[in-house]
Amino acid sequence: MTGKAGPQGAAIEIRDLRVDYGDFVAVSDISLSVPFGEVYGLVGPNGAGKTSTFKVLATLMEPTYGEVSLAGIDALENKEEVRCILGYMPDLAPVPSDLKAWEFLEFYADAYALGSSKERSERVAECLEIVSLSGEHNSWCNQLSRGQTQRLVLAKTLLHRPQVMILDEPASGLDPLSRRELRHSLQAIAREGASVLVSSHILSELAEMCSSLCVMNQGKIMAAGTATEVRRELGRSERKLAIVVLDRHEETASWLEGEEGVLEVAEFKSNGQQIIVSFAGDDTQQAALLTGLVQQGIAVKAFEETSSSFEEILVGIAEDNRKPGEGATRVH
Amino acid sequence: MWKIWANPIVRRYARSRLRARGLGVSLLITLMLAGFLFFLSRAMGDRTDLSLVDLARIPLIALLVLQGLILFVLATGQMAGGITAEADEGVIDYQRLAPMTPLAKVVGYLFGLPIREYVLFLATMPFSLWSLWRGEVPLEIALQLYGVFMIAAVLYHLTGLVAGTVVKNRRWAFLLSMGMVFILYTVVPQASKIGLVYFKYVTIEPVFRECLPHLIPRDLGAGVQTLRNLVPPARFFDLDLPQAVFTVVTQAVLILAMGFMLWRRWYRAESHLMGKVGAIGLFAWVQVMLLGNALPLIAEGAVFPSRMWRRWGSPWGYEWAPDPEDVVIMAGAYGLVTLFMLWTMIVLITPNRDRQIRGWRRARKLEKKRLAVGSDPATSIPWVGIMILMGAAGWFWFTKEVVESDWFGGTVMPIQGGGAFLLVLATAGLGFQALLEGKGVRATSLCGILGGVAPILVGTVLAASSEKLIPLAIWIIGISPAAGPIYATGAVIPLADFEGELMRGLPRAFWFWQVATALLALDLIWSLRRSREEIAEKTLGEGDHPPLEE
Repeated sequence: MTGKAGPQGAAIEIRDLRVDYGDFVAVSDISLSVPFGEVYGLVGPNGAGKTSTFKVLATLMEPTYGEVSLAGIDALENKEEVRCILGYMPDLAPVPSDLKAWEFLEFYADAYALGSSKERSERVAECLEIVSLSGEHNSWCNQLSRGQTQRLVLAKTLLHRPQVMILDEPASGLDPLSRRELRHSLQAIAREGASVLVSSHILSELAEMCSSLCVMNQGKIMAAGTATEVRRELGRSERKLAIVVLDRHEETASWLEGEEGVLEVAEFKSNGQQIIVSFAGDDTQQAALLTGLVQQGIAVKAFEETSSSFEEILVGIAEDNRKPGEGATRVH
Repeated sequence: MWKIWANPIVRRYARSRLRARGLGVSLLITLMLAGFLFFLSRAMGDRTDLSLVDLARIPLIALLVLQGLILFVLATGQMAGGITAEADEGVIDYQRLAPMTPLAKVVGYLFGLPIREYVLFLATMPFSLWSLWRGEVPLEIALQLYGVFMIAAVLYHLTGLVAGTVVKNRRWAFLLSMGMVFILYTVVPQASKIGLVYFKYVTIEPVFRECLPHLIPRDLGAGVQTLRNLVPPARFFDLDLPQAVFTVVTQAVLILAMGFMLWRRWYRAESHLMGKVGAIGLFAWVQVMLLGNALPLIAEGAVFPSRMWRRWGSPWGYEWAPDPEDVVIMAGAYGLVTLFMLWTMIVLITPNRDRQIRGWRRARKLEKKRLAVGSDPATSIPWVGIMILMGAAGWFWFTKEVVESDWFGGTVMPIQGGGAFLLVLATAGLGFQALLEGKGVRATSLCGILGGVAPILVGTVLAASSEKLIPLAIWIIGISPAAGPIYATGAVIPLADFEGELMRGLPRAFWFWQVATALLALDLIWSLRRSREEIAEKTLGEGDHPPLEE
């Protein structure tokens, strides 16, 4: 689907990156390394500096300073070279109003010099197929739905088989089915050796999609690693577990309250079948909790970590930002 | 890159702008108009006793006007509107990312965006070609006319593209591009009538006039040709060049300058439109051209405005001699144009506060002790200083040549005049630069309106309302730095012989306001220096780094 496994070393390397808008520091001396073959998520509340970082990576913006390289190529010095291996999808994914879907893709296939006219047309059809838009081949770009537009721009991003893909909020506006398709597509791209850097302000969405995460806030990196590592690093280790049992609800709740790592057994939902548990233990303890429930003879229908715990991390960060005196970084 | 038809951007616009649905109506209207002009003028000619050759020539000028409307007006508006629309829709970032060279992108837009207008233009050409052929217009004349016509079209389109690149709002871009084209290629060329001959070469007018005898019925053409023979070829110091050659050279340099501006923007979106060295180069080029075109015409009197105004309606053999007012007007206009050009260059090369901060931070990070002098974030003061010196020298040279010409036998231009010219450019130029760099665009615009435009308007109203108020009006108008060049010439040129009240008031007002403006400019420069030091100190305070110097 995309370029085969890239060269050894990091697909994306950022060192001491800083972006200022006048006195406002959008990105403050961040460093980051993303290996090939990985879907890497960049998450943070609005104004965290994600889009500025992406624009620098995409060679669309000159940083105040810092070093950025993609597949070992200096992105600030060799822009044209970097652009050949880069696929960038901006936030809100605009499309021209005067072109049809195939014309839009054909134009970029032409700009990327993707072979003969026939080869370009085949590649356009292939990319439309990948994003399930073959049926909209001849539709006007501005008549597509939001989700279709996102997918069309994703198809454009895939056209030249980039080694590095940078996708700014690619899932916004997509329905659940499309999100799932997007997730599968990106994971497939990464399996082929490309590196995908994707941003969202919805942490749970990225946690499902990405092999690693990086949380940004006020231009700084707060945590990076796997979802579990990020949670631990942010000091918000409690997670919410949703347990659905078929019977003995009260007895189950009482048993849970006594278990190690359980902080609170808070809510009963779905006709009392669902129990929401605040849990501070690690993954092993979580597994032990499930084993314990089964050993108690409780009929467990479902046992899963809810996404809300991820959201709460970001909500907490956003709320911290709003507190007086803790606003955006200003240096002058 | 030179295979224009293979340029992806050209092909993209060929697809979107040449759809049958959109093109069909435009094409139909164009053909109807061209046909109407062609047949109407021929039908009117049929009622005279013109020969077939003369009859065939009649539609040529009307068709040229229509073609000018299509390529100069519609296409230029499309350039500005089209590029702004791309920025507005957000798709321009995709184009930035396309692995094409910046030059290929500029060329793509230049020939892609107005592709429909080119087709419409081509649709009118059969009428013109038929008229040229049957009108027996010499091939070299036709090639000369349409060659310069196309070069001018490219120049105008680049102007539109630059306007669209600078302005973010689609509607404003269209208006600005039209305004720029109107001012640059209609208003500014009028300066050629007051001594600044160079400016007429930014239009197709000189070539059109040269070709005119061949574009109209032959009897009429012969008369025009006789008049044309009185007009000398283009002069550049000691060189005599055909008007067409000089027009092409002039426009080609402007095309290169604008192409370079766009190249810079496509190469790096944050760049100033012009680099500091480029701005100096363009400024110097215009000064040399102004002098090179005007100086050789002084001896024969062809640059004096009064000669042009009195040419018509005067009896044959009328003895003409320039008035002292001619010198004031010409030298004042030279100074004014130089000042406006200086301000334009300052706007192009002066960094705003944001850029200065970024520059300092980058320097600090790279452990450099100073900003590179020619870099965008560096102050533009030294460069403005160089332009001021060049401008004052050119202005003084021009004025000296006119004043000391044989027309005013024995008059000597005092050397202090050069000092006054330098003072005018220095106070207005450096004051403007310091204001823009230190206080920003908004404050500068406000000061420009209140201190630059308002005094002229108020003074003019006062002067128009009563003769008694003229001395007061002179003092009020003198507040405006834009009045400086005119006042300077009036105050220092020994030929200036104004009426008593005016003569007494003008020099006093000039020197008073020059001193006042100089003090203000010094204060602004001091304030700018403090501001830059403050930025450097604050940037330094962000970490442990060696001290910075500018």
